[in-house]
Parts: sequence; structure tokens; C-alpha cells
Amino acid sequence: MAFDKMELRDIEVWDGNFAAAQALRQCQIDVVAAYPITPSTPIVEGYAKFLADGYVEGEFVMVESEHAAMSGCIGAAAAGGRVATATSSQGFALMVETLYQASGMRLPIVLNVVNRALAAPLNVNGDHSDMYLGRDSGWIQLDAYNPQEAYDLNFIAFKVAEDHDVRLPCMVHQDGFMTSHTAQGVKTLTDDQGYGFVGEFQPMNDMLDLDHPVTHGVQTEEDWHFEHKARQHRDLMLNVTPKIQAAFDAFEKLSGRKYNMVEKYEMEDADVAVVCMGTSVETAREVALEMRKEGIKAGVVGIRVYRPFPFMEIADALKNVKAIGALDRSSPNGAAGMLFNELAGALFNTDTKALLSGYVYGLGGRDLTKAHLRDLYKELQSNVDAGKVTTQLQQFIGVRGPKLAFL
Amino acid sequence: MANKGWDEFEIGAMLRSFEGPIKDIATTHQEDRAYSGNNSFTASVADWRIEKPVFNKDYCIDCQFCWIYCPDISIISRDKKMIGVDMDHCKGCGICVEVCPTNPKSLLMYSEQTDEEQALAAWPAKDTSKADSKGEE
Amino acid sequence: MLEIRWHSRAGQGAVTGAKGLADVVSTTGKQVQAFAFYGSAKRGAAMTAYNRVDDQPIMNHEKFMRPDFVFVIDPALVYTTDVTINDKENTVYIITTHLSTEELVASQPKLAGKNVYTVDCIKIAQETIGRAIPNTPMLGAFMKISKMYDIEFFKENMKRILGKLPQKIIDANMLAIQRAYDEVK
Repeated sequence: MAFDKMELRDIEVWDGNFAAAQALRQCQIDVVAAYPITPSTPIVEGYAKFLADGYVEGEFVMVESEHAAMSGCIGAAAAGGRVATATSSQGFALMVETLYQASGMRLPIVLNVVNRALAAPLNVNGDHSDMYLGRDSGWIQLDAYNPQEAYDLNFIAFKVAEDHDVRLPCMVHQDGFMTSHTAQGVKTLTDDQGYGFVGEFQPMNDMLDLDHPVTHGVQTEEDWHFEHKARQHRDLMLNVTPKIQAAFDAFEKLSGRKYNMVEKYEMEDADVAVVCMGTSVETAREVALEMRKEGIKAGVVGIRVYRPFPFMEIADALKNVKAIGALDRSSPNGAAGMLFNELAGALFNTDTKALLSGYVYGLGGRDLTKAHLRDLYKELQSNVDAGKVTTQLQQFIGVRGPKLAFL
Repeated sequence: MANKGWDEFEIGAMLRSFEGPIKDIATTHQEDRAYSGNNSFTASVADWRIEKPVFNKDYCIDCQFCWIYCPDISIISRDKKMIGVDMDHCKGCGICVEVCPTNPKSLLMYSEQTDEEQALAAWPAKDTSKADSKGEE
Repeated sequence: MLEIRWHSRAGQGAVTGAKGLADVVSTTGKQVQAFAFYGSAKRGAAMTAYNRVDDQPIMNHEKFMRPDFVFVIDPALVYTTDVTINDKENTVYIITTHLSTEELVASQPKLAGKNVYTVDCIKIAQETIGRAIPNTPMLGAFMKISKMYDIEFFKENMKRILGKLPQKIIDANMLAIQRAYDEVK
């Protein structure tokens, strides 16, 4: 390889952005087309610096918008390169049109999404609005709860996305600032381990294969469109999950770090469970342990693979609990929250008698404190004690003003 | 390619131009290329025509104007010699006739049912009035 | 769990200081966390940064903190922001000021009865590094007050962390750390 390797310590103190940038370097990305936006900027900045310093062989394409950034990634991926970029919030929203192109064209691009609120009002801080915006786009979506996972999940993303039975783009999500700008210890892979895990890029139908000319991005109209979309959905429903599991297993063998479609903490005998994503999962874990000392059998379920949604796994994880709090860090704007709805769908035809209530929290980076979570667990326990949901089904955590509750 | 099921095509919104690998495409003539069923070359649009171009090689100077201007790549030229029109892909637009610089023109539009031999036999003569008028421009 | 809150102005290096401290602590096998409150902060705007240190993996991501230590690296923030918010009975304050501890407490009654140490990190930084970047001297003072690590061990680690800077700047930072260690009262 005609580039310099980097000596890393076993544990580096990295924030989530730098961890993701290091993973991109170790995966030896051929092309990054990017338009920087807070809080994801240091990821592509980091790649650009590694490139300039000779630590990676590739191209950094500066473009005029996030729409162009993903378009550039699509072109490079169709040409046959290993491709990645990063974005957040408004940039992600502008990218949405091209996200569907990338997945429909079955191009294994990895997009690091550093989750941030959507304007208006303008806000650079973290919530899950942009992540939720991408959930029907046909991408695989993995969610990191801390910098270590932002690093690890990038390797897993390439491994899964580039598999010829998958060939779907993959987002790696991390919470804006709470992960992206929070430095913590990150256990590193050596450059050889990291690159060895993802392996040489295996092109498929690439445009630079001049012996097999191919037209990408064709028009189909009514006579073929449905079959293509059905095939893509089928592959997401059937092909992707086993490949993610295989990648998780291989990664555990390499690093000792174990990932699951659905992460379960203190769930074996839990009466009350909180289901959430991002950094909130870890804070809730800490609170669940504290609640247990107070006699409340509290557990936490974290969504690791957001798309394809782990419908069966989550129903299984929650089958024995008595009350569930579904925490959505995005305003549903006129509906029950996404997680509330997904959980309701997953549990509806099962034997569960669990009481399900939804909570909207943390919009625009509003702090989710341990005190909030303690109150939440107590409320779930009081639902269990009363044998019914004692509140309205949708409540807000941490918003100022008169109490808001719906449904 | 019509009416295939979801499991009968390659993934991605992509189509192959050729059956199998193709080497040295630039020096292979169209008729010798293994075009796939997805390539427009295998589809005939002959029935779109109301009028057709007829080629008279007696007046052609092989300037290649028609070859350059044809929007459907339907002028067949070999070694820079005009050979004729690909009647499977010509839609009868008449651009080749419009751009033909010879006098009389080497390509003229006739109704689809016109007999080619008769058209060639009745080819118009040189238009002298046009040549005269040119000097006055 | 050891928790630290930094009061700073954007551009004074609190984030770099917090990350640098986390890096040093991490080398000793402890778990660390360093983060800050951002926003569309401009250079000079008041901001806070945070450290958590523990023997166990740190899972708490709440921004709320009842700090064990409060570092104030800009002298005016004692008056324009509430540096005592959410503190505990035994919270230790290390505050940058040209005043003596007694004069400082007299000028800001909120600090009365609290465990306050003072050191002029601004002056030290200006005289050693040549710029008012008071982050590394604050860490020198912290080593003295907390007795967390031997100052030589700390300086050696900071040399590695500052490794990309010119040697002159690294040397000046080492001098600044040592002076704050010696001068904090």
C-alpha cells in the first residue's frame, strides 16, 4: 500500500467525530465528496487531513451543497469506489433526494450522520429529527451511543453495505455533540486489523469495468418500478439482518466488542423498560441500575439497527415486561412517536400485556438528566401497580411551560 | 425484458448494453456488437415513420454532415463513406435531408410506401436557379 | 466519579484543556469523558466545558453536573456568570484572578465559605506562552490542589499531547504548567 500507516495507542481519547474519521482512514476510502456542516464537519475534515498527510490514498471532492455531495458519492460508488461522507440536520435534509437514488441504485456508500435538530428554529445541537427523516430512504441505519461505537460501527457498515448479497448504503448515526464532540476512551484497531476486517473493495457492476458497459440510474416507469422497490425492500427484510449479525460476530472475534440488533440491559427480569436510541441508552442504563437499588426492576432496550427495523427481536426483548416507555428524540408533529408506533406494531399480535406509553424528549439538545429518567421509571412502575397507563399516552420530558400530554 | 418478476433482474437501477464481455468496442461495428435486449439498438422504431429518407449515392460527396446531425445514429458510414440509412432506427425526421449540401441533394424524403427504385429513377436534376441566386447573397 | 466544570471564554482553550486532561488521565487506566456546551458561540462568549473521570466505564451523558472541581480560566466570569451553580458543599474552586483569594471572595460574596484557590493563569500564560491562553496553567494548578498526579508525570504526558506544536510553544506550556503549580494558593 502506497500510504503511511499510523501508530495508534490501544486506547485513544477521541470524540465521536475523530473516531469516525479514523475509521474512514483505516477503511481506505477512495472518494469522499463532502459539504461540511456542524456538528459533522470534523469527520470529513479529518479525512481530508489524513489524505493531505499521506495516510490514505483517495480523492476529496469539494462540492457546492450536500445534494451535490451525495451526488458525487453516487457517481464515485457507481464507478466502483469505496465511498463515504458525513452530514447533519439541514444538510441531511438537502441530501434526502439523493439518498433514495443511492439506495435504489444499490450503491454501498457509508454516510456518517451526526444527529442534529432540524430548523426552524435553527439549532446546531443534537436530536434525532434527521435520523428519523431518513428512515424510509432504503438505507441501512446503525446507531452509535458513544465514540467507541461510532468508530466500530463504521467498519461494520462497510462490511455489510459492500456485501454482494446486500449492496445497500448504510448510515452510521451518532448524537451531535453528546457523542460527536465528547471525548472518551476509544479502543483502537491497528491499521492492518481495521483494513483487514473490511477487506479489499469488491466492485459490482461498476462503470469503470469497460469490458461490461452498464447504464446506471435508469428510468423504469410503472412497468418495472414496483419490482425494483419490492426487491430492495425484500433484501432489506431478508438479506441484511443475517449479514449484520455475521459482521457483528466477526467484529466481536476481532475486537472483543459485542453488538446486537437490539441491545438489552438489565432486561432478564425487568418489569419496566425504557426503549431509546443514542447517548440516552447509556444514561438510562446507569439510572436503571440505580432504580434496582430502590426496588424497581428497571431495564433498558437500545435500538442498534434502526433500519431494517428489528421487529421480531424487539418484540422478543420486551415480551416479559409489564410497562414500556418509548422515548422519541424527534417531534412527531401530529402523531404518536416513531418508537411508540414501531413498538406497538411489533407487540400488537403477541401475547404481551405490557403497558406502552410514549415520551418526546431532548429536542434541540435539551438535556435528558438522570433525574428525568428516575421520574420516568417511577411513572412506569406506577402504571404497573395500577394495571393501566395512568397518564395520557404521549407526554413530554423536559419542556418548560404548562404540562403537555396527548392521546 | 418485459414483465419480469422482482427476482428476475440484476439489482440496482442498471441495465447492461451487451450480452457478455465486450472487447475493443470502439473498433467493432454496430452490426457486429452483441447488444443485449435492453439496448435500444435491438428495438425497431421503423413503424414510427411517415416519411423515409432515400439515399442517392450518385450525388453524395461523403461530407458526413448527415452522419453528424442524425439524432438517432441511423446514418451508416464506413471508412468515412456514406453507405445508407439504418431503417430500423430512422424515425423519418428529415434532418439528414435538411443538412445535405449537394445539388441536387443526395438524400430526399419520400412517403413510406414509395418504391426506392422509382424514387432514384425520378431524382430531381441540379437546381440551377439556386446556384445563380447564391452569388447575390 | 470525579466531575469537573470549566468556565471559559470560547477561544481560551477550555475544550482543548478538558480533552488534554482526559487524555492524560486515560493513560493511567481510568475512564474519561470530556465535553462542552457549544451553540453558535463566538470567540469570547462565555462557555462551559466538562470532565468526568471514573474507574468504571462512564455511561452518564447528561449535561447536568454537580462538580467536584470548578475551574474558572477567565477572571471576569466570576462576576458575569454564576460559577457556583449546582455546586456541592465540598466543591473546590480554582479561579484565575490577579486578586488574592481573600480579595476575590470579598469581591464576589457568592464564593464566601467555599473552598476557593486562586492563581493568575492569564498572567502566567502571557509571560510564558506569550498569549492569554490560560488552559494548560490551570491544569498545573489542578495537579497541585488535587494531588492527582506527580507534576513531572503530568508534564511528560502533556508534552506528548502538545506534540504537534513547535518546540518553543511546548517548552513555554511546560513552564506555564510548573508556574501555576507553584503559584496557586
